[in-house]
Amino acid sequence: MTQEPVLEIKDIVKRYGDIQALGPVGISVREGEFLTLLGPSGCGKTTTLHIIAGLTEPTEGTVSMKGRDITALEPPQRDMGLVFQNYALFPHKSIFDNVAFGLRMRRVPKPVIKERVDRVLDLVGLPDVGSRYPSELSGGQRQRVAVARAVVIEPSILLLDEPLSNLDAVLRKRMRLDLREIQQRLGITTIFVTHDQDEAFEMSDRVILMNNGGIEQSGPPEEMYDKPESQFAAEFIGEANLVEARVVAIEPGALKVKVAEAIFTAPAGKMAVSEGDLVTVMVRPERIEVSKTPVNGGNTLQGKVTGRVFSGDQIALTMQVAEGLEILCSKPSTAHYRDLRLGDPVWISADDCWVLPRAGVKTEGAK
Amino acid sequence: MTVDTAPSGSSFHAARRSKFARQLLMGVTVTAIYAFLLTPILIIILSSFNTTSANTFPTDGVSLQWYREFLESPSFISAFQFSAWLGIVAAVGATIIGFLTAYGIVRYMGSYREVAQSIAMLPIMVPHILISISLLILLTVVPIPELAGLIIGHIIICLPFTVAGILASLDGVDPQLERAAWTLGASRMRILWEIVIPLIAPGLFSSLIFAFIISFGDVYIALFLSGPGMTTLPIEIFSYMQWESTPVIAAITTVQIIMIFGLGLIIERMVGLRQIMRI
Amino acid sequence: MNNSGRLFSAFLFGPIGIVYLLFLLAPIGFFLSMSLFRYDAFELYVPTVTSENFERVLTDSYYREIIFRTLKIAFLTCFFSLMLGYPLAYFLARSKSRWRGVLMFLVIAPLMSGIIVRTYGWIILLGQDGAVNKTLMTIGLISQPLQILNTEIAVLLALVHILMPYMVFPLFSALASQDPDVERAAGTLGAGRIRTFIEVTLPLSRTGILMGTALVFTLTAGAVVTPALLGGKDVQMLGQQIYDLILTTLNWPLASAVAFVLVVCQFLIIALYFRGGRHGPM
Repeated sequence: MTQEPVLEIKDIVKRYGDIQALGPVGISVREGEFLTLLGPSGCGKTTTLHIIAGLTEPTEGTVSMKGRDITALEPPQRDMGLVFQNYALFPHKSIFDNVAFGLRMRRVPKPVIKERVDRVLDLVGLPDVGSRYPSELSGGQRQRVAVARAVVIEPSILLLDEPLSNLDAVLRKRMRLDLREIQQRLGITTIFVTHDQDEAFEMSDRVILMNNGGIEQSGPPEEMYDKPESQFAAEFIGEANLVEARVVAIEPGALKVKVAEAIFTAPAGKMAVSEGDLVTVMVRPERIEVSKTPVNGGNTLQGKVTGRVFSGDQIALTMQVAEGLEILCSKPSTAHYRDLRLGDPVWISADDCWVLPRAGVKTEGAK
Repeated sequence: MTVDTAPSGSSFHAARRSKFARQLLMGVTVTAIYAFLLTPILIIILSSFNTTSANTFPTDGVSLQWYREFLESPSFISAFQFSAWLGIVAAVGATIIGFLTAYGIVRYMGSYREVAQSIAMLPIMVPHILISISLLILLTVVPIPELAGLIIGHIIICLPFTVAGILASLDGVDPQLERAAWTLGASRMRILWEIVIPLIAPGLFSSLIFAFIISFGDVYIALFLSGPGMTTLPIEIFSYMQWESTPVIAAITTVQIIMIFGLGLIIERMVGLRQIMRI
Repeated sequence: MNNSGRLFSAFLFGPIGIVYLLFLLAPIGFFLSMSLFRYDAFELYVPTVTSENFERVLTDSYYREIIFRTLKIAFLTCFFSLMLGYPLAYFLARSKSRWRGVLMFLVIAPLMSGIIVRTYGWIILLGQDGAVNKTLMTIGLISQPLQILNTEIAVLLALVHILMPYMVFPLFSALASQDPDVERAAGTLGAGRIRTFIEVTLPLSRTGILMGTALVFTLTAGAVVTPALLGGKDVQMLGQQIYDLILTTLNWPLASAVAFVLVVCQFLIIALYFRGGRHGPM
């Protein structure tokens, strides 16, 4: 069932003087989805969020919500709730007054304010803190108050600018689940910005990966993980073995590529390739099969164990399969894999592999 | 040049001794300077209790006659009241204008902040008599009441201090808070009133008090701009001193010192004097 | 910026702009321009341009002496304020004692008592029966009370006393914002305390010295009350001259010329200092 997107930004460009920091970028956001803008610092994700929020004016392009062009509107006039990176709770106001602030500005009658604030505080799991002050709350609690404050005005979209960056690792993990839960309970369309890939994957319905002011790839987390469309995407998300290869044959739905001295079969994907093209083959470390017993057929290479790191539940093995070519493999530390020691000759199978354009090139048609 | 080696026993003690000597010298010097600074004040306070009308010190005996004379003198009392009233008005004016200016500098001047700040500090670089005379002349040309001239003159000399003090307070306010309030629908005026001002309340109050003190103690602006019915206390004292010189002045002065001491303590409690000394 | 933003900016900067332009700069400009007009006993001034006021101020020996005396006292006041104020500022900036707040207050408190107050204190101290004379006589250094009042020394003493805190503020500011590690580093590199001070601390506190000197110079040059009360007729300074000319003699053009000279001297000194600060040995 197709719906009109809740939010759409088209041909957005942001220039500072002569420097083009962002664009052209276009994004369509569906009702109720949890969308994350993911990327390294400076990739433009925060600028994009600010443009959506109205905190920054785009040099070119339009922002529309439910069909209406809101590019010229200021943040208070857009139907959006914002959660800032440091939460920006008013230190001199009680939690209740903090959350009620937006409603007061909209001249909502007092009894209604009370009812809605109580309800939303309940929703974020802080039913009794109304009379307390921000300084008395923990980081995680303040986070939730910030969300409550943004959400109580019942906006169409919730925007979060790296809200978890200031929390310690343990708290971060917990807050991820909490935030996702709150979002699902409310059913509110959410746009989230982070540089943490795990975070993006755990929480989102869809991830937009950005780099150097542009969109690298966009899609559900699983798709992003299994089928990256560029070297950057493959490396930013999880670990990847990236090996140069040459296309030797094109078959319906599959490609045959030459990797080192072997021929691999890989799924065709969306790339447009011709015979003889240079491409990159990607295999996720956990999808490599290793054994001491010889294997025939499939995507196999022979090699020697050159590195071994044991970290409790995992074992990471580095294997040299050709001159200057090392493959990283990570497996659960069962007896079978623990048995592989430094120097052992091994056979590697990479049946579950994927082909990317060679370094520096993106797959055409990325959206 | 000798190479530094680990201090041997005697040279270590020599170092300790010289450090002690240094600190002693510093201590003595500083104490002497403080003595220089505070002695005249002490003398005034003490001679306010003189039994005779001479400005001698030390005195023989203690008397409150000069305080009585002060409290029973209509001219001094009304001058005191006028100075207090003027101080409050000038302080409020300088604080309000200073706040608006400081807020503008902090949020809207960006990289021009230092220039803007220097411009705000302008009156400090101008001799007060020049400010005063110029205002006097303006009054002969433009139909502004003299009282207004005096108030404006005081506001002018207080502004650099209120601007600087409030600027320092505003630096401690996270601009993100104002932005959050804005996105929630607050107008700019409301942001000032509900978010910014409450957060810098101590700084505002201290600026008020500091401006009051400056206004109360001013001589040069009032020198040219005060008139019949509008005499400030310092001017009243100045006139008195040109004809007579009795310890009643010491009494008035002591009262003034105590008042300012009290106000200064309040400032110290509120924001600490470090802030004001950083002008 | 959109329209409401511009209106808001006007709201913020308007008040101080109006006050400074209308009530500070314009009047001062007008007053100083009066120096070019001719004095008239009836109308105070006549708007014909003449240079007679400046001629008088710059050539008449009476005025020259006053200018010279004012500059001399101003320089000396700056010098002594610096000599006394620096150790104080240094001590306060480096002190870690919990009495620091109180000590700082003790520097500011005299300042806030007002000029009259402190001048009066010096009158008591330096009078014939004052503490200074009494002490000196008790010790036996003199047999008759000295005439200290109405001398330049009295004025100088009082001015230094009154204005020293104004020197301490900027010095304190400059010294307190110095990273104490810089001094420590110099020490570990082998520099003795004095060396460290001369080559590290002093130059780094340059802005403080400049600011303080500029402030004190301005305040000294424009002083009226202190020289009047402590110096009397024998010690005339520019400030008193202007006062007399405006309120007593009512020769405003001449007063303006004197004020003009005062302002020029002040700017020259300050400019010299700041140039020295920028291109000095650093």
